[in-house]
Amino acid sequence: MASTQVLKSRIRSVKSTKQITKAMQLVAASKMRRAQDATKASAPYTQAARELLASISGHTSVAHHPLFEKRAVKTRLLIVIASDKGLAGAYNSNVVKLYAEQLIQDDKAGVKNATIAIGRKAAQFASRIKDTQVLGVYQDLPDRPDGSELSAILDSVRTQFTSGSVDAVDIIYTNFISTVAQVPTVQRILPAGLDATEQTGTSGDATYEPSSEEVLDNIAYRLVEAQIFQALLDSRASEYMMRMVAMKNATDNANDLVDDLTLEMNKARQGAITQELAEISGGVEALNE
Amino acid sequence: MQLQLITLLGVKLDTEVYELLIPTLAGEIGVFPGHEPLVSVAVPGAIMVRYKKGDADKDLEYFAISGGVVEVSQTKVRILVDEAEHGDDIIEAESKAALARAIEMRDKAKDQVELERAHELVDRHTVRLKVAGLRRRHHRQ
Repeated sequence: MASTQVLKSRIRSVKSTKQITKAMQLVAASKMRRAQDATKASAPYTQAARELLASISGHTSVAHHPLFEKRAVKTRLLIVIASDKGLAGAYNSNVVKLYAEQLIQDDKAGVKNATIAIGRKAAQFASRIKDTQVLGVYQDLPDRPDGSELSAILDSVRTQFTSGSVDAVDIIYTNFISTVAQVPTVQRILPAGLDATEQTGTSGDATYEPSSEEVLDNIAYRLVEAQIFQALLDSRASEYMMRMVAMKNATDNANDLVDDLTLEMNKARQGAITQELAEISGGVEALNE
Repeated sequence: MQLQLITLLGVKLDTEVYELLIPTLAGEIGVFPGHEPLVSVAVPGAIMVRYKKGDADKDLEYFAISGGVVEVSQTKVRILVDEAEHGDDIIEAESKAALARAIEMRDKAKDQVELERAHELVDRHTVRLKVAGLRRRHHRQ
């Protein structure tokens, strides 16, 4: 049996670890709440952009716009969103697993692949892969993104697509469905689709200034931006949620461990006392004889 | 008519208004209730809002916006922009300093990416400063 001294120091170290995980859990919880609110707040923007696109599609031919052009996919661009830091449970490994599956899929179909990595963990993985060409790496995005950090990503995505270097753009992110379900998801961003909005097209009689092409260009750009932004916010909320759960588990485990170690220490202490008593009484016996 | 000012960060304004001035690619447009349906491209600048008919000029409110899309229908105006900021929330001195920093960054930019980012910042802070100025001018009267 380990000595009381050793057990005592182990308990102390587990307890301090517990304090850290507990603190990280609380931090993640408050960040998660904020991220969740942000996810909800940006929804009207996406919705409005979709509606505008639907109504304009009744007015001008959308299919000829460079951002809507459907081509045979020879090269696919994947935007992978993971976190900068670890200790978030299965968050990063889920994303990376899906990413790897997509790469294998492309490989089998003979499609070339390019990657834009957002978050250090995504970047680290992508840089080790031979099958993909890394076009850009974005790390340390702020905790509360406001859209301005997206402009560089957005510009490079648009240039890649309109110049024909890539024929499709997908985004891999973690969809924040609820506090108990976060699902890694692949979503097509370009060519921009009109899915789920086709039936409307009511304001076909509106005037377009300066021209419907110019307006369309703007709306399409905004829709793509909104989709990437939404994906980023969803990923953030999921990351904090999963980190919170992981840290809660760690705290619970630390509690269990402290209980076990305390029990063991008490046993060891009692054992030592019993042994000492036995030795003393044995000594007294020996003197009396 | 109903005005909805929608940004990436959420709905900034959703209220009844009487008159609007919006900077667009085709020039600044004034919108009153019953305007013909119109979709246009907004450029960075100041939106002026008059809430009720007969409101004095000092009650006008200004918003600094980045580029976006404007949709006008008979009863509703929807403005979709990346960013919108109320004139009262802009601190003039801060904007001035930020503009100076942005200009310095533009002059020192090493590559194209940095230059573009700097240009963006210069535009942004110029607009903010303009909005802050507008507000001050009217409130003094």
